[in-house]
Amino acid sequence: MNATVISIFLVIVAMTLVITYFAAKRTNSASDFYTAGGGLTGWQNGLAIAGDYLSAASFLGIAGAIALFGFDGFLFSIGYLVAYLVVLFVVAEPLRNLGKYTLADMINARFNAKKVRGAAALSSITIVVFYMIAQLVGAGALIQLLFGIDYLWAVLLVGFMMTIYVLFGGMTATSWVQIIKAVLLMVGTVILSFLVFQRFGFSILEMFSQVKTATPHGEAFLNPGVKYKIPLDTISLMLALVLGTAGLPHILMRFFTVRDAKTARSSVMWATWIVGIFYVMTIFLGFGAAAFVGSETIINTNAAGNMAAPLLAQALGGDILMSFISAVAFATILAVVAGLVLTGASAFAHDIYGQIIKKGQATERQQMLAARYASVGVSIFSIILAIFAQSLNVAFLVSLAFCIAASANLPVIVYTIFWKKFNTTGAISAILTGLVSALVLVSISPSVMNPEAGVAIITGTALFPLTNPAIVSIPLGFLGGVVGTLLSKEANEKKFSEVNVRANTGGFRQL
Amino acid sequence: MTKSVAESNSSVSAQSKAKMAVNRREAGHVPDFEAIESSAGFRELMKQKKSFLISTTALFLGLYLLFIFIISYTEWLSASFIGDISWVWVFAFSLFAMTWILVTVYMKRAAKFDEMARNTLIEFDYDEEENR
Repeated sequence: MNATVISIFLVIVAMTLVITYFAAKRTNSASDFYTAGGGLTGWQNGLAIAGDYLSAASFLGIAGAIALFGFDGFLFSIGYLVAYLVVLFVVAEPLRNLGKYTLADMINARFNAKKVRGAAALSSITIVVFYMIAQLVGAGALIQLLFGIDYLWAVLLVGFMMTIYVLFGGMTATSWVQIIKAVLLMVGTVILSFLVFQRFGFSILEMFSQVKTATPHGEAFLNPGVKYKIPLDTISLMLALVLGTAGLPHILMRFFTVRDAKTARSSVMWATWIVGIFYVMTIFLGFGAAAFVGSETIINTNAAGNMAAPLLAQALGGDILMSFISAVAFATILAVVAGLVLTGASAFAHDIYGQIIKKGQATERQQMLAARYASVGVSIFSIILAIFAQSLNVAFLVSLAFCIAASANLPVIVYTIFWKKFNTTGAISAILTGLVSALVLVSISPSVMNPEAGVAIITGTALFPLTNPAIVSIPLGFLGGVVGTLLSKEANEKKFSEVNVRANTGGFRQL
Repeated sequence: MTKSVAESNSSVSAQSKAKMAVNRREAGHVPDFEAIESSAGFRELMKQKKSFLISTTALFLGLYLLFIFIISYTEWLSASFIGDISWVWVFAFSLFAMTWILVTVYMKRAAKFDEMARNTLIEFDYDEEENR
């Protein structure tokens, strides 16, 4: 680790701590803590959404996947971007119009039932835990590579920083860390892409023809089928990606930080442009790494290809660029895990403690204390899990989180907004069917069960053939909602009128 | 509340109207959501919104799934478009372009939906300040 890395790294850490200091002064109520007082503008929240969404898996993972597998690596970029249309068309505005702090608030605008809230909180917490372990395990491994620190210390360092941001600065600090990270990430990616493009003589055709001969895959590199060879597996994974984003609790929570549906909408527009431009540039990063670093070096440094982007920076811009890109990767990790801690804390402190145990009667002081205790609790819990989860596959954990989000959260959101006859039993059964089927199917899939000893957690033939169960568990989640609704006679069409009017006009908000 | 009542109120100045609305709600007034829901303005809003959302969602999910099916089961897109760039990249980029175009189109349409929603709310004496 050289002096440049350390100084850039320290500048970023110092910047985020200054933000946290000022944010802490403005965090005086539960609303400040969970939603930054609802005062973010469209572009601010758009950048923050991008900062929340573009995890290390996107930046380092996709660049590496494209460098190693060509077009198949780029499939992730397509799924992750198109997903924003589902967010924009289905969830963003109703969520803002009906909810307060959490997804459970929005569903409970229609069903004032503790069981529904409990089920929604449970699925949010499950998704956050899987996503968080993925981020922390990835972070630990990366920081170990980038800065030469032990895995344990790397996880503790990231864990300590995220706890500080959330505990003191709440959503205000988290949002600004995410905004700064998004800007840094875009700047870093633009610089790298420009340098790559320059090396190819600013010609896309030249880039493709050089890459064709640069990798062991030859011409196949530029076409689908290098990595994903089983059609149903590919389709299932792509379904999870496109439908999962709209059910990710940490993304949904960002819509409560703006004042109205119009701002929520414009923040999705900003996010779509930023995220989309970023994903286009992943091609330059991936192709550049394939051509100028070479797959052998990439695999030798990290088998999953996660070091492709930093190695590319080293090859094109030397130590300074490499240090900058490494620091950007660090900032990326911090921004995402902070958002996750806050989301997990809101499910525990607001949904379970505030609404279920205290029945919504907690004082402002109790709410703030609960939120802070929950943040520390969520942080410690995930740090401990991450320390023991070091050997788990990060990409698998992330795609599992997307799968649960699409199976457990999306059906209940869609039915709550659009289906008049939907009822309490339907809501509970939609969430639990999606959640349980995703978890059960994954636990008997090839990701967990492999006949070869040591490859997966369990040695044995997988009972379910697909690595990602989305193609089965998403329909099951939707079906669970229908069956639950039909089994119960309860219906409250009057309440649906209220939800319908409030969701679609933005009027009569209950704050 | 019916439309005729709302219209008879329209002569009252906006300020006192807002005050009336607040007063009524402080006394435990619950808006008649069923009346709003069945009003002509709201029904027209929902009709337009649903037809827009259903057709665009069918379009983008359809194209997205079509793309995945084609690349999973066929070699149709492996043919060259220009030089070493095959049609698969062209299709992939049209999905990017589609996303940006649909977002832009939706922003325009949503401004119209906002206008319709606002008119409906005004018709039913809704006071925007109540939310702040």
